[in-house]
This record gives sequence, structure tokens and C-alpha cells, in this order.
Amino acid sequence: MRNLLELSWRLLRGGGRQSMLGTGLTAAAVAISSALLVFALAANVAFAARADREAWRNPVEAKGTPVAIEATAKDYVRDRIITVVDVAPLRYAPGVRPPGTDRMPRPGEVWVSPGLAELMRELPAEQLAARFPGKVAGTIGDDGLLFPDELVAVVGRTAADPAMAASRADHPLTSTPPTKISDFAGRAGDETVVYQIMALIASVLMVVPLLVFGGAAARLTVARRDQRLAALRLVGATPWQVVMMTVAEAVITAFGGAVLGLVLYGAAVPLLSRIEMADGSWFAADLWPGILPVLGVLLAVPLLVGLSAVIGLRRVVVSPLGVAKRETPPAMRFVRVVALFVILIAVPLSFRGTSTTVVAGVLGLAFLGVNLVGPWVVGVIGRITTRTARRPARLLAGRRLVDDPKSAWRTVSGVALTGFIAGFVGLLSPSSDLLGGPPSTAGLRLVVPDAQAAALAEQAGERLSGAGIDAHVKTSGRPESGRAKERTLTISLPPGDGYTMRIDTARTALAGLVPGHVATSPMDDQWQGIRLLDDVRTGTLVVLGVSFLVAIASAGITAASSVLDRRQAYALLRLAGTPLEVLDRARRTETLVPLAVMGGGSILIGMFCASPFVYAAMSVSGAVTLLTSVAVGFAGVLGAGALSRPLLRSVTANPAPRPD
Amino acid sequence: MSPVVTAPGLRHRYVFTRVDFRPMRDVDDQLVGRSGREGGRGRVGGMSEFVLSGHGLVKRFGPAVALAGVDVGIGRAEALAIMGPSGSGKSTLLHCLAGIMKPDSGEVRLLGERIDTMGERDRSTLRRTRFGFVFQFGQLLPELPADENVALPLMLGGMTRGRAVQEARAWFGPLGLGGMEGRRPGELSGGQAQRVAIARALVTRPAVIFADEPTGALDQATGHEIMRILVEATKHNGASLVVVTHDPEVARWCDRVVEVRDGMILAPGRRQDHIRALSGGNA
Repeated sequence: MRNLLELSWRLLRGGGRQSMLGTGLTAAAVAISSALLVFALAANVAFAARADREAWRNPVEAKGTPVAIEATAKDYVRDRIITVVDVAPLRYAPGVRPPGTDRMPRPGEVWVSPGLAELMRELPAEQLAARFPGKVAGTIGDDGLLFPDELVAVVGRTAADPAMAASRADHPLTSTPPTKISDFAGRAGDETVVYQIMALIASVLMVVPLLVFGGAAARLTVARRDQRLAALRLVGATPWQVVMMTVAEAVITAFGGAVLGLVLYGAAVPLLSRIEMADGSWFAADLWPGILPVLGVLLAVPLLVGLSAVIGLRRVVVSPLGVAKRETPPAMRFVRVVALFVILIAVPLSFRGTSTTVVAGVLGLAFLGVNLVGPWVVGVIGRITTRTARRPARLLAGRRLVDDPKSAWRTVSGVALTGFIAGFVGLLSPSSDLLGGPPSTAGLRLVVPDAQAAALAEQAGERLSGAGIDAHVKTSGRPESGRAKERTLTISLPPGDGYTMRIDTARTALAGLVPGHVATSPMDDQWQGIRLLDDVRTGTLVVLGVSFLVAIASAGITAASSVLDRRQAYALLRLAGTPLEVLDRARRTETLVPLAVMGGGSILIGMFCASPFVYAAMSVSGAVTLLTSVAVGFAGVLGAGALSRPLLRSVTANPAPRPD
Repeated sequence: MSPVVTAPGLRHRYVFTRVDFRPMRDVDDQLVGRSGREGGRGRVGGMSEFVLSGHGLVKRFGPAVALAGVDVGIGRAEALAIMGPSGSGKSTLLHCLAGIMKPDSGEVRLLGERIDTMGERDRSTLRRTRFGFVFQFGQLLPELPADENVALPLMLGGMTRGRAVQEARAWFGPLGLGGMEGRRPGELSGGQAQRVAIARALVTRPAVIFADEPTGALDQATGHEIMRILVEATKHNGASLVVVTHDPEVARWCDRVVEVRDGMILAPGRRQDHIRALSGGNA
């Protein structure tokens, strides 16, 4: 065993420059895969961590003796959201306190997040600080915040305060009514659950192409080692020894790659933590997936690569001469398509329920099904390309696609899988100006009890003019349907200079006019929907970015290894006068055709499917963002392929090529 | 003047390395003598009888001298064998003659025109259109079927695919490859693959075919067969053949043999004499 390991190591090191290059390519592929795999895991952990930290803002009715009353609402300043948590202590309970604070707030005290504290200093008091009566008693620590810059205020009140009795039915989705609590454990908010499911879906979208790519990269190197290992078989190495040597080599390489991938991920965390989701960026600690998942990746990736290597080696072990000849690969069988349909039909039947794991499982299986069909489709594309080719470059490219459709699929799979969603979301997600309308005529709305409507309207007018705001207050004619005892005050502000400042001054002036109620603009009311769609778009772009990254890495590695594999034929063709450009164009076409057909096709299908839902106007900014990222991605894939051009030049420049 | 003069420094080197082997006088005599025998090697008049000729070719790789002043000419429809042991410079000579490399000095002419002064792009086109190549193995693209491998040079020359493949297929029958048109290189035997390579070399109807150890990867019987086909097919098409080999059995198929040693043409002579000498007088 030790001898075998030693021999593997020597072969790995002494294989010459091109063998080292092959090993390096595999290590690089594994590194990128591992880094992205950790990212896919970390995304889930990060959303879970956020959900945990958000839980205290969703109060749960106390089972025993309550210690406090808690209620929440959203307030708005400029284009940002402030989470306001009202807390009225009922009795002393040691250790019970809102996360991020060091004690229960007393009536008349306000605790603010660092972001809010800064904003309160920056903006004039009548625009923000005056909304929170009482003295600022402390700063809310990271434990109580979703993201570093979040705006949160914890306002201490007495239990008799009218704010602690108001039902807060004016904004039922963004506020919680006063609840008697026994601690601040809370529960996961509905919204965070939605985000966690989306994160899981995104992870599945990223992981499937990653596994395809990582596994195939391992086999790719094995293919190049085939000949050497077959030679070992010929001199009498037992199949077991050959397998052990290959696995040892693949696992050593993959472990190196996995460690490198972790380092890469660590280096990328500062950048990744700036991706905004649900209004904020991330704590770097949120993106650390935890020691166990990291160990899992370090163990699982080399194991998977080793397994993949064994599969790639089967032929050598079966026959020492098995790899000496290159034969027409069996055509991709239509069975793959049948398999997809079986999966698509069987999966919904066998899984029932809608739990997150089931959703992810079904989705994962569906993608694996698509993955089965992908190479078959690439093969069909290759046959069409071959049949219609008039120039040598296209003919070569088409034949290559027919010859090795899996390798081309490896490059485009991620883009093809994500493309549909990208196209769908890109067309659908609204730009904020589309839904909100021109803010200058929007003004504010405040829901008031029917009985006091007139008095409150008058008070509102007084407060506003007291704050120096020129505004017109209108009371809605009759109680709105469904809210029988309420009316709406509409506060119109003339458009013009300093509108946003006047709006914030008006908000501040109206704060507390109706306890527990917040004056909001139409824009504020749509904030949640816009944010969700924005986040879906951001998430799609991230997944699309990862897919393109995989495609780029895969294109680069496939291109380099195909040059290495065919170096002799290429060199001899070039000697015989074939222009380098023809070989190069063939390699470009080989990537571009499936990428355009499958990646571009899935994006277009996504857009087509989204078109019925686009009512008035298309989301121009969404489409532009999508098209830009697709263009950048395509350029990246082509660029990665072009990187091996010097390699092609150098392997074909040798005037007397000899096989290794 | 003798071409050796074109590289006086090299001649010294040559003298040092060769002196214990053969008297310098002898070698010079032979070189001069050959000029005499082949006659009319004068630059203006004589070159024209050669389809391809190299004159005073010198090529160095760093300190190593691969060609130390070589003169050689190939007549129309002539088969010339360039022989020599490994490292003798015979492959370098082929590469210089075929426009794959530029010699450091000396000149190469195809039908009287200098080709060694052309740029890489022009030489590349020249190789594709006027020359054909047959290598030891590995020259066929594994993913293309045999007929498309043969058609490739025609397509590169701008011919439509349909016509190129049609023309390519016309070579299969005469070369004994009937029915192999759709096979991949991996599905062909070594001899069949070489025949496909010969078809590819001839399909553009080149002036000269260069073959670098064309039977190097074949058994003897197949090797003979391939040499017979190579020589016959080349001559039948009016092309000249330059074969680089270390194998006297291969050289036997050619009209004329030159031997390269340490970068110089060693011994002129007709095929039979040379082969007899190489095989110890038994041939």
C-alpha cells in the first residue's frame, strides 16, 4: 500500500509539464467547485442565521406569566425601513431582554441600532430623531440585528401606553399587535421562511451544475492518464493496484483543490457579504457555514472525485488494451429523454406535501433529470451543426459535439438550468419607479379611528403647520369596506424642492398622533412586494453569476484539456498547413453553439413564459440587467476558451511532435 | 563553390567531429563529385530540373547544429529517401524543405521560386496547397470520419463541403479503402489509417509529398504495402516524394537515397549501391 502511494506520488510529480498541467487543471476545477459549494451551503446557513436573529421580533403569546408586552411596526425614513419594537415591561424577570441589549428597556428609554444612531445624528431631529420620544439608553448589538446597517429602534413604554393597546391593523403585514410575552425567543417570521426556501432553491440550482462540473473534471484527467495506467496494466499491475493508484492520485489532487477552494471562498467573503438581500448586506460571520459543513466539503469532495475517477477507469481495468483504441462513442440514447419524463411524472406522485426538504428534493431530481437529457440535446445540436456545416471549423466543432456531448454540456449546464429562471425574473421583476409612480403626488396616508377622524385631521394639520410643512389633509368620505371603524387621512404635499425632506418631517410630525399607527406613502406600502421581487432578481443574478462562473471555468478547463488531448493531431495539422485560426474557431464554435442554443434558448423560454404576466410595461431595468449579465457571461466563457490559445500555439509550434 | 563554404565556421566544426571518421578530403570530393554527377547544379539553369531544391541549408538549435550546409534536389515524380540515424538532422532537412522551418541560411526553391523567404502565413498556405504530408501516426482527427479527414484540406482551400467529400471519397477505392469512408480513425487499423493519411496528402494534388517515417508504427508487411501505395500513388499523380526514414527497407522503395550524418549529406549514390552499403553488402 505504501509502495503504491509512493509510486502514485512519483507519477503525479514526474509526469512532465503537461501531466502537471492536467493535474493543475483538475485541482483548479475542484477548487472552484468547492468554493462555490461552500457558498451554496453558506447561503442557507446565512439565511437561517438571519431568521434566528429576526425571531425575537415575532412575539409569541406567553404560556405562563408574561414578563412584558411586545409590538412591532415598520417606519420609514428616506428610502429606508426602520423596524420599531415597542416593549412594555410588566414585571422584573432576570435575563429576559431583547437580543442585542443588556437589559429590559424601561419606559421612556429608546435603544437604537448603530445604523439608526448614525442616521439620527446625520438628519435634523425633526425629520427622524423626534419620532422616538425618550432618551437613548443604549445601542443594539449585532445579536439583535439582521445585517450590519439595519435600522432598529426598541422603544420602552408603560403597559398603560395607548400604543401598547392599539391593534395595529393599519399595516397587518408589516406589524405585529401587542402581545404578552414570557421571553424574547419569538418564532421565525413568515417572510424569513420564504427567503430560506428561495435560498434552498438557489442552492440546488447552483449545486447540480457544480457536481456535474466537479465530477467530470476528475474523469477528464483520468482520461488522460488512461494510457499510462493501461501501460501499467500491461506490465502486470493488478486491477486493484491500478484503481488504488488512480484513486490515490485523484484524491490527493482533489484534496488540494478543496483546500484551495476554501481559501478562495474565505477571500471572497468580504465581497459576497456586500450582496444585498432583504434590504441589507451580511455579517461576515453569517457567511461562515460552520465547521461541520466545511469538514464535510473537505471530505466529500475528494471522495466524490475519487469515485468519479473509479468510474472513469472502469474501461482500463476491464482490459489493458481498452484505451489503446479510440472508437465511435455510442450515441446518446433516447432513453435519457424517457428517463426525464419518468422522473417528471414519478416524482410528484411519490412525494406528497410541501415541506422545504420535499420542495428541494423534487427540484433537485428535476434538475438531475434535465441533466440526463442535456448531453442528448447537445448531441442533437452537434448532429445538426455537422449536417449544416459548410466550413471546416463548424464541421470540426459539430463532430466534437457529437463525439463528446457531455463535455459541452458540462460547460453550458449551469447557464441552461438557471437561464429559464433568469429570463422569467428578468422580464418580470419591476423596477421601483414602475410600481410606485411619481412620488411627488403621492403624499402620506394615515389610518384613523372613525369616531375621532375629524379631530385627528385637525390635529394633523396643526402638527404639520407647526413643523413648517405646507400640506393638505383630506379625510376619506366613509369608512373603508372591511375596516368599518376606520377612515384614512390623506396628506398631500406639494411637489418640488426638498420633497423627501418634507415627507420625513411630516412623518416625524405625525408620529404618535394615532398610537401604534404609522403614516406611510403608497411607495412604503408596496415596499414589501417590491423588495421580494428585487431580492428574487438579485438571487437570480447571483445564481446566474455562479452558473456563468462554472461555465467559464469549465470552458477554460475543457478548452485547455482538449488542446492537450489533441496536441499531436493539431500539431500535425498545423504542419500540414492548417491555419491556427481554423482550429481556434472550431474550438470557439464548439462552446458557443451549445451555449447559445441551450443557455440562450432557456433564457428566451423563461422570458416567453413570463410575458403573459407582464401587464402594462416590461421591466426595462430588469431586462437590461439580465442582458448585460448574459453578455458578460458569454464574453467570459469565450474569453476563458481563448485563454488556451497560447497553449494551442505552443503545442502546435513544436516542429517535430512526438507522442508522449 | 561547395555549399560548405557558405558556413565556414560550421565546416571547422564538421572537420573536428568527422575527422576520425572519414578524411575531410573525401567528403569534399564527394560533395563536389555529386555536384558534378548530378550536373548543371548551376543556380540559374540547373535548379529548374528540380521540382524542389535546397541549397546551402544551415540550421542551428542553440549550440547544436542540425544542418551544416546541405544541398539537395528532388526531380519531378522522383522518390527520394533521406536516411540517417536519430539526431542526424534528416527531419530538420525535411522541415526546411517543406517550409515548416526557415533555415538560418541557404535557400529552398519550389519550381524555381524561393519559399524560405516567405512569411509564416504564406508558407502555411503553400504547405496546404502545394505539399502533402504523411506522418508516422496521429495525424487524423479522431472525431472526424475518414472521408471528412481526407476532405479537410480541400475545405480549408475553400471548396464546398459536398464537393470536397465527394472528391475525397474518390480516393478510397484506388487506395484499397472501399467501405471505410464513414469509419473513425480509431476504428481503422494502422495500415488503413496510413492509407487515409496518404489520401489526405494527395487530395489537393500537391507537387511534393513529404513522408516522415511513414511506416514507423507498422509491422513489416504492412509497411511494405504502405510504401508501395505511397510511391505508386504519388508517382501516378505526377507528384514527387520525399521520405525521411532510418529504415533501409523503406528507402529501398525510392529512386534515390541520400544519407544525412551530423547535418551533412554524407554519401550520394544510387539506391542499390547505397542500400547494399547500408545492409553490409548483402542487398
